[in-house]
Amino acid sequence: MKLSATYVFEALPEKVFAALIDPAILQKCIEGCEKMEKTGEDTYDANIKIGVAGIKGSYVGKIRIEEKKPPESITLQAEGKGGPGWVKGTARIQISPEGEGSELQCESEGQVGGLIAQVGSRLVEAVGKKMQDEFFRKLGKQLEG
Amino acid sequence: MIPAAFDYFRPSTLDEALGLLVKHGEDAKVLAGGHSLIPAMKLRLSQPKVVVDIGRIGDLRSIGERDGKIAIGALTTHFEIESSDLLLRSCPLLPEVAGQIGDVQVRNKGTIGGSCVHADPAGDWPAAMLALDAEFEITGPRGSRTVAANDFFVDMLTSAVESGEILKSIRVPVTPKTVAYVKIAQKASGFALTGVAAVVDKAQKSVAVAVTGVAAKAYRAAGAESALRGLELSAATIATAAQKAANGVDPLSDIHASAEFRAHLARVQTKRALELAASRG
Amino acid sequence: MSVTTENAPKVKASQGYFGRAMKRVEDPRLIKGIATYVDDLKIPGVLHAEFVRSPHANAKIISIKTDTAKKLRGVIGIFTGADVNEKVGTIPCASPIPGGKTPEHTVLAGARVYFVGHPVAVVVAETRTIARDALDLTDVDYEPLPAVIDPEKALEKDSPLTHPELGTNVAFTWSLPGGDVDGAFKEADSVLKLRIVHPRLTPMAIEPRGCAASWHAGESSLTLWTSTQIPHLVRTLLPGLIRIPENKLRVVAPEVGGGFGSKLNLYAEEAVVSHLAMRLDRPVKWIEGRRENAAATVHGRDQIADNEIAIQKDGTVLAIRSKIIADVGSYCQLLTPAIPTLTGLMLCGCYKLKAVRVDVTGVHTNKMSTDAYRGAGRPEAAYMIERLMDLVASELGLDPVEVRLKNMPESTEFPLTTATGLLYDSGNYQHALEKAQELAEWPKLIKERDAARKAGRLFGIGVSTYVEICALGPSKIMAAGGWEWGCVRIEISGKVTVITGATPHGQGQETSFAQIAADWLGVPIEDIVVLRGDTATAHFGRDTYGSRATALGGSAIVMSIEKIVEKAKTLAAALLKSTPKEIEFKDGKFFVNGDGKNALGWGQLASEAYIAKNLPPGLEPGLEASSFFEPPNCTFPFGTHIVAVDVDRETGQVNILKYIAVDDCGKQVNPLLVEGQVQGGIAQSVGAALMEHTVYDENGQLLTGEFMDYAIPRAKDIPDFILGSTETPSPSNPLGVKGVGEAGTIGATPAIANAVVDALSPLGIRHLDLPFTPERVWRAIQEKGGGS
Repeated sequence: MKLSATYVFEALPEKVFAALIDPAILQKCIEGCEKMEKTGEDTYDANIKIGVAGIKGSYVGKIRIEEKKPPESITLQAEGKGGPGWVKGTARIQISPEGEGSELQCESEGQVGGLIAQVGSRLVEAVGKKMQDEFFRKLGKQLEG
Repeated sequence: MIPAAFDYFRPSTLDEALGLLVKHGEDAKVLAGGHSLIPAMKLRLSQPKVVVDIGRIGDLRSIGERDGKIAIGALTTHFEIESSDLLLRSCPLLPEVAGQIGDVQVRNKGTIGGSCVHADPAGDWPAAMLALDAEFEITGPRGSRTVAANDFFVDMLTSAVESGEILKSIRVPVTPKTVAYVKIAQKASGFALTGVAAVVDKAQKSVAVAVTGVAAKAYRAAGAESALRGLELSAATIATAAQKAANGVDPLSDIHASAEFRAHLARVQTKRALELAASRG
Repeated sequence: MSVTTENAPKVKASQGYFGRAMKRVEDPRLIKGIATYVDDLKIPGVLHAEFVRSPHANAKIISIKTDTAKKLRGVIGIFTGADVNEKVGTIPCASPIPGGKTPEHTVLAGARVYFVGHPVAVVVAETRTIARDALDLTDVDYEPLPAVIDPEKALEKDSPLTHPELGTNVAFTWSLPGGDVDGAFKEADSVLKLRIVHPRLTPMAIEPRGCAASWHAGESSLTLWTSTQIPHLVRTLLPGLIRIPENKLRVVAPEVGGGFGSKLNLYAEEAVVSHLAMRLDRPVKWIEGRRENAAATVHGRDQIADNEIAIQKDGTVLAIRSKIIADVGSYCQLLTPAIPTLTGLMLCGCYKLKAVRVDVTGVHTNKMSTDAYRGAGRPEAAYMIERLMDLVASELGLDPVEVRLKNMPESTEFPLTTATGLLYDSGNYQHALEKAQELAEWPKLIKERDAARKAGRLFGIGVSTYVEICALGPSKIMAAGGWEWGCVRIEISGKVTVITGATPHGQGQETSFAQIAADWLGVPIEDIVVLRGDTATAHFGRDTYGSRATALGGSAIVMSIEKIVEKAKTLAAALLKSTPKEIEFKDGKFFVNGDGKNALGWGQLASEAYIAKNLPPGLEPGLEASSFFEPPNCTFPFGTHIVAVDVDRETGQVNILKYIAVDDCGKQVNPLLVEGQVQGGIAQSVGAALMEHTVYDENGQLLTGEFMDYAIPRAKDIPDFILGSTETPSPSNPLGVKGVGEAGTIGATPAIANAVVDALSPLGIRHLDLPFTPERVWRAIQEKGGGS
């Protein structure tokens, strides 16, 4: 599954970048993130509930921040496993100034395995898209706040 | 295929059911016909601690005409709708949709309310509900509220019914015979690869078209509708308008159909649904 | 001893049960829901097993943490590969190809997993619910590795390896040099090429697998109930794995809800459950779920074939060259290599080719193994040759029927040796084709197509004239005996017990074998019981697959009856004060000189035989005989299927308008069962043609793991069939039967495919791969600019 999307923020690239490496903000922006604990330089253990409506699964996994090039690019990696299988995702983010704010280009790639792939494939892409949109919508709110 | 442990309640009145939902809050799920919840539970993708089975609440299972509208109890089965003389006369779109849902066993057990609340992106009912501008009566601890179809289907697998609430009934208008539901089923599941519901009002020279199976939630094909507003329906006007049936839509893609094919089918099926509906009056 | 119609038993059918359409005696219990499948067994003290399965296609197992799960109340134990693999032998392949590379197929994963669904550990608990709960608490850490998915890429140099220890993804190669292929290609006016992809299919028997094992410590004996097609082969193979003597193992196949080849295997779960029952000294049961069935029960087909066909201008087909890549999946299961090789052997179809060369490469990938699925290599062969015949016709501008007729042997040419070395037993291919055309109202159908085309519709007609191979088969060509065994016992009361080794799993042998026995013995069919499926009762057997049961199992019964009749004549002679030679046997009665008044029936003779006070000297008590039937050859059923379809230009949907099938399976014991088999076979083929496809994504995740995504046809997808038959008896068995269990599946897919391609041919489309889903057809139309 591959997604490509552009988001616009009122904040400048430096501020957007800073938010993306702040675990407290990340936790607030990742829908269903119940726990995020630092385990090393830019690596975190996380518990995340992923799904839609009543169909949700709990995943235990890791989040890593990589390839930091402040303020223009960054890569976020996440992987987790749980009852419904496993999930893995990489988001390559480019931030460029756009007027008073910035434009963020996100190229992401996701994989799922086990039960969710076997029974939920028709919804996986839509859920992924929704999670990503939700993440950047919340990020926008954090930046405003 | 064994669900996680849960407590099971089978209230006999709506008040009792609402009481149970208040008491158990987010832990509780409402069970109607069981055709969405039980498979999800058996896969353990849904693990409610409490299941409130409303299936025996008799007054939620009825079809009746009231004040020029038709009220359908949320627990009315697809088969009861498919075989209702009243609906065949007064709102024939609904029996037409019902007859195309799943198979006989599914139609005997599945309910219109359960299906709408589940809001599956490929469910058949959402297309009909949107095309008919249905109204949903939802009841909860703070009393009843009515939600229009347009606001009812919030997102993929998400309806306007909140935790603690129960969908009580659905109201649809009396319509002429100029309606149609045209569906291409996904061969495995029987859900709609594309389903298009059309309601044609020749007197007002307006049409309503709703599409399911194509996007994350069912939608009204506004572009197609406005292209036909005030026009006489003809093969040519319909064909032109139907080209707009997937405008502004982000179609789903899976092993059964790509986004491109889904959008194409939305256009073809819109054309066919409108032609069929127009031919009926 | 081998029997052919030339030296057939002297006993004649007398009451007309043989050949009569009769309802199945099995059906009432199935319809009422009172049949006993494995899951219906009530075994006191039984424990329940659930398997922890890999969610990865290819991964190293880093750790398996079972502590939390083991603490769950009611969990008896959790066993991993480290606990089990040294104590249980490996899963065998019974049809290895010399020079092939075989990975060690341990019953549970060792250091690595090789496909999604690979069993990694097994939980045993007091209830199935507890076992299921424990699955969620078992924590396996994997290190995922790149998966090998595309069998063609798997052959490239830099491909990752499914089994690194083998150093290659090639499981085996097999070549069939049938005749002077190069000479035939030189001689040809032209050579046509066609690449054909047979998609992977999932058998999806209505009853998933399941087994239960009970260890009797006092007797040191094990009983295994398993939903299998092959209890006897399991009893042959399993003792070596669980290390008990064969005569301490009883295998029972109770009611079995379909197999389609997918239960023609020895599976890891059967060995693990047996081992655990012995190890824990408690009965253990495992019932497969649908998702497990989709992921970890063998798949079928999955071949890619590059074909070249050498032809003359007049439509004569000289030779075929075919390079087949068979995706065998992670392991070679029982018959995996035999499937694509059977494709090669059957590639001549019902045509007189001079030469055929087939090169098969079996390739390991990180998927479930492929193995037998209804037709098992023949549907692929029939599909290839029948598509090629249509290609020849369209390239030369000839009528596809004429091209077929041109290349068919005459009925007088049988037995006929093919370029691939098979001996076709008997046939009259033209007759079946003519009859099918008659039923199809051929000239009218052609006119209908022409009119539809003129009106702008995409209307097509497809024909397939197929031949297949059944009654597998002579022991010399089979891995572990190709005979069949049967026993007939006249009980002391005169009732008749028939025991067959050809274990049914839905075919209706309890009815058809009773029909045979009733006629040959001259007794009412109600007096006959057919026992099957238990190695303690049916001492020998090679079971049911390859449409072999009636031809071989039925013949073993007839042989046994012949022996009993001979013995009964000796007894009757003593009682009637005559000689055996003078005793006549007719309609179940033994008499002398037409003296019906003093005739003896089976009841009297049985009573004398067992009470044994008046036996002539030297005659053993009892009236029972058993026989092994060893066939001299396989049988070769054939037929013609004709299909008319209509393709929706805008949506790509294929609508089957008309379906005609004429099948020749030799003599028919019960035409109703024949029709049922043909209907079921065609239905499965409609699935294969229009909707079925097992899909793995590029990471080896199975995307068709449930009926939500794996489409099998529903009743409304199946057209009304016009069915007919011709009857060309087989000389290979005393009944003259050929077998019909797979015919529909073999004949139908190419007929539908030819019809769809014919419908699309006005757009310039010459081939399309299966399945013809709306999007695939729509895209093909779009590419040719033929859409709306």
